[in-house]
Amino acid sequence: MRRERAARGAVLLLPALVLGLLVAAQWRGQQERSEVSVRYNAPLLEAANALQREQGVLKAQLAELRARVDQIQASAASQSGTGRDLEARIGALKQRGGLTPRSGDGIMVLLDDGRGPVAAKDLEKAVCHSTDVTDIVNTAWRGGATAVAVNDERIVGTSSVYCIGSTITVNGTLMSPPFQVAIIGDPAALLAAFEDPAQLRDIKQRRDMFGLGLRVTRASALRVPEYSGALTVKQATPR
Amino acid sequence: MTRSPGGIAAAAVALLLGVLVATHFGSQQAFSRGLQLETPASLTTVIANLAERNTALRDEIFDLRVRVELAQEAAQSGRGSLAEAERQLTALRIFAAEGPARGPGVTVVVDGAFDERALADLVNELRNAGAEAVDVNRIRVGPRTWFGTGIDRVLTVDGAPVAGPLAVRALGAPEVIRVALTRTGGILAQFGLFYPRTRFGATSESALELPALTRPLP
Repeated sequence: MRRERAARGAVLLLPALVLGLLVAAQWRGQQERSEVSVRYNAPLLEAANALQREQGVLKAQLAELRARVDQIQASAASQSGTGRDLEARIGALKQRGGLTPRSGDGIMVLLDDGRGPVAAKDLEKAVCHSTDVTDIVNTAWRGGATAVAVNDERIVGTSSVYCIGSTITVNGTLMSPPFQVAIIGDPAALLAAFEDPAQLRDIKQRRDMFGLGLRVTRASALRVPEYSGALTVKQATPR
Repeated sequence: MTRSPGGIAAAAVALLLGVLVATHFGSQQAFSRGLQLETPASLTTVIANLAERNTALRDEIFDLRVRVELAQEAAQSGRGSLAEAERQLTALRIFAAEGPARGPGVTVVVDGAFDERALADLVNELRNAGAEAVDVNRIRVGPRTWFGTGIDRVLTVDGAPVAGPLAVRALGAPEVIRVALTRTGGILAQFGLFYPRTRFGATSESALELPALTRPLP
């Protein structure tokens, strides 16, 4: 009977110990985090969120103004042959530069943080990095894509994917996984580029070994939006 | 079937333990991708980045408002003008890399081992620092440009080989771009760790001339 009680006690001892450690670690972590976050992070977080909201408003205003300019221009252009020619050239440049929405068949690439358990030392390999997004975009262009958007941010000639801490921005817009990369182009050629073992070697290896999420699927009737950021041609002039 | 109090207690502890482990793990997953867990230093960089982007948006909004007003005045007075269309065409030719461009900027020299992913990262960094136009060994980088490796491990830009040393030129505010590249912990410092035998340099330039894309986009 005494031996049975002792065995039961031993069964409880280990979980209780682990439980105690976890509670202590969680409490300590919370305390450390709150000391810094209360003083600095809370107002900084609020400022970042406010700027992100402001960006949305500014992009909407910009879209409206661009539409008005187009309207005025179209009216002026209709009065002469030169005007109509200019209008057509502008339209074509906007389309090729990513300033108009685009629709068509293509593929969808899903990139996501690994959701399964992973050892702490391998955590970096199981999460998405900004360089993974640039690698996917590079593979898309290599495969003959005609338009690419990452979580609805159109990729254009001045686009950048940037990493600050664990936050990723595309065209200056804050994003977090999963990343849905919509790619318009010939689906067969795009799939071939993504399935080429020489491409995205690092991402595929991390998918297989550490559970990083990567899924490439054929998609029809995709629609990618136009670029909504600033054009920023200030320093460069025509030669 | 009888259940002992010890067994029930053990099950309760195990259950609680499981819940705690799950919530602890779950909270790590969620926090890992929220701004909440960023350090004050990272948040400050996020804010600076957002503020810079918003300023660029405001600048363009201001410019467009002025131009809309001028164009409307011209139309009302019967002086319909194509000046706005010509201005837009010029800017778009630079933006879409379909016209040659000139201006101040930065030249980055890469002399030694370097791969296509690093080249893509360098161009990405230049764009993030505000580059308006970029070329690599006088091949213009366009909206759909891709970087690869060809025969004998020679880097390619849109399939065209670019033998080293590489000269990556970017038009934009020279000091802003140069400082972004050369700051402590910046991309050139990171490259220096990955490619210890490769020589990297960034120089501000008062006047650069970049060609247009060799093949127009379909």
